[in-house]
Amino acid sequence: MTSTSILDQLKRNKIHDLLEKGERFDGRRLDEPRPLTIETGIIPKADGSARVRLGDTEVVTGVKIQPDKPFPDMGDKGIFICTAEILPLAHPTAEPGPPGEDVIELARVVDRGIRESGMIDLSQLVLQKDKSVIGIFADNSVTDHDGNLFDACAYASTAAILSCKIPKWEMKDDVPTLVEGQKSSPPITTIPVSITMARIGDHIIVDPNADEWACMDARITITTNSNGSICALQKGGDDGFTVEQLFKCSELAISIGAKIRKQIEQARG
Amino acid sequence: MGGRESDLVLLDENGIRCDGRRVDETRKISIKAGVLKNANGSAYIEFGDNKILAGVFGPRDVHPKHMADTDTGILRCRYHMSPFSVGERKNPAPSRREIEIGKVIKEALRPAVMLEKFPRTAVDVFVEVLQADGGTRCAALDAASVALADAGIPMRDMVSACAAGKVADTIILDVNNEEDQAGQADMPMGYMPNLKKITLLQLDGVLTPDEFKKCVETGIEGCKLVYEIQKQALKDKFFANGGE
Amino acid sequence: MADSKRRYVIPGDVITTGPYRPEQNVILEDKKIIATTVGISEIYDDTVKVIPLTGMYIPKSQDLVIGKIVSHSSLSWEADINSCYVGMLPASDVFGRNFQPDTDELTSKLKKGDLIAARIVNFDRSRDPLITIADRDLGKIDSGELVKIAPSKVPRLIGKHGTMIQVIEMATNATITIGQNGLVVVACDNPDGLLKAKKAIQMVDEQAHMANLTDKVKEMLESNSE
Repeated sequence: MTSTSILDQLKRNKIHDLLEKGERFDGRRLDEPRPLTIETGIIPKADGSARVRLGDTEVVTGVKIQPDKPFPDMGDKGIFICTAEILPLAHPTAEPGPPGEDVIELARVVDRGIRESGMIDLSQLVLQKDKSVIGIFADNSVTDHDGNLFDACAYASTAAILSCKIPKWEMKDDVPTLVEGQKSSPPITTIPVSITMARIGDHIIVDPNADEWACMDARITITTNSNGSICALQKGGDDGFTVEQLFKCSELAISIGAKIRKQIEQARG
Repeated sequence: MGGRESDLVLLDENGIRCDGRRVDETRKISIKAGVLKNANGSAYIEFGDNKILAGVFGPRDVHPKHMADTDTGILRCRYHMSPFSVGERKNPAPSRREIEIGKVIKEALRPAVMLEKFPRTAVDVFVEVLQADGGTRCAALDAASVALADAGIPMRDMVSACAAGKVADTIILDVNNEEDQAGQADMPMGYMPNLKKITLLQLDGVLTPDEFKKCVETGIEGCKLVYEIQKQALKDKFFANGGE
Repeated sequence: MADSKRRYVIPGDVITTGPYRPEQNVILEDKKIIATTVGISEIYDDTVKVIPLTGMYIPKSQDLVIGKIVSHSSLSWEADINSCYVGMLPASDVFGRNFQPDTDELTSKLKKGDLIAARIVNFDRSRDPLITIADRDLGKIDSGELVKIAPSKVPRLIGKHGTMIQVIEMATNATITIGQNGLVVVACDNPDGLLKAKKAIQMVDEQAHMANLTDKVKEMLESNSE
């Protein structure tokens, strides 16, 4: 869905007026994300799972792990696939049916943030080179939409992956066979954290809620890894950023990303 | 379906089932009303290991417009399973099974909701299975009813659902996943407890006429048990702070 | 509220049997009066009704509502009035009888996102409700903040003879416009007063069915914390 319901003009004006004074409608500082809660292991039957609440946005993510055929030119690497769906119960304008461009962008951005960081060492997920590898699927279901699904889904996927348990398969006659009762922790190299920022006029705000999303001129999602390096970027929205604004965003992504990374690590369980 | 070979003892000599329950016992059930911020009404249910979320929007404008009815509101229902909800990851695209279940749930709710008061509108019910463990359509229907009441959609009655079935030639209440796979019959049922009407009924398996009667009676008892839990969920949300 | 004739009910509950007349949110089926929504049942003389604790606003003729303009054609605006039906505001209501669709530009008066205080002119379920802003206390809302409460709580926010709303307005110096559709506009020069007024409104929304609410709200408003 490209736009949430129409924002009333009085609120729109108030949001702008407050930003001039360095304030936001819900009382946050410009660089302050909403309260974040992360619970892992909420879907015990899945191999990993998490529920994230970022303000009033809520996402439930499940990780399923199963043997698969490797991609044609990547026989020495396991598979990682990330999907996202905005459930129709999440928002009055969310429609059931094949994903539109917003949802596709959401899934691909969350996927890239995790993939490009190298979070999961895919070379450790090979059962038989070129024939059989382990596939890790992270599926995000947005259950309540109040803006910034990029970060909510990214945190939920990351937390679900960190806390997942990989079953053990042995190759018997070229067929991967499950070995009951033996599970291992995933091969993690780094923890990616995305921070989404919006530009409203000349002001940069972190973690826009749905109302702020409806007023914004442009947005950017920046993902950093545990070393503080930037591993993924996505600019969106109908307008642009100046170079100064862009550099400011990157600084915010690194500093706030570090704080959120601590929270995700604690939720590992 | 139907008596597959397995090591599982579905009913032992003491009348205890594979998960420790007696023949007339349901799994543990809990329901919470009003769990979502955006939906007009919502409910979350845990029915055994089933974890299901229901959200309701409406009455609201119908799109596409040609689907609207000038004389009455319409009811739409979508049942969907998250990819991570089942043993082997499920493709996110709706399957034929999910579409059929959506229809069956809609038809179970339709007699209860009073949509004649809202011509040209739709009430949309969305059910998402986050974790599945046998009997999801009944659990989904239970959550959907609570979500409709939470939204304030006028209803003549609640709809309560529970399955009955047969394992080891014995009629049982609330069929779990193993019993569904290896048992002899699974009969999901939806029931309006005050108007005493059955609005959802399906059967997988074989029952003699006597077994069928017993199964229906057992199912109704199960539905009545679930009804009390649905009532409590609404009480907890709306009446808990009451001064009465 | 110690009236024994009031009870919490959910859909399907039998409130009573006997020669009663069913009113709002109840139906008569087989001599039984049955509740159709979650709420509080009330038996009054020979009628039975349920005061709903949830549910959408259904437009009623002469109701004052707050609306938000969402679109327009060349002849009218459409307003979201927090209901399943959209409010229709004809251009002639604003431009007058001499309205010329070719030259009179609707967006010069009202555009998408504008809030209006309007009155429902008429409503029958076969058509979208007609609304008007052609009255002294109606029109475009230029200042204040929009607060949403459950439409079923509006009578409680107004209070008996307006007592509750007066308490809030006097304690905060705010001007509060209450729409029957659950949309409320709060305007106040003083930011603290605005915050307190919003808090009081939220309190009523959450605790509408509790006893002594007016006293509790008064207490909250008089306390000097924040």
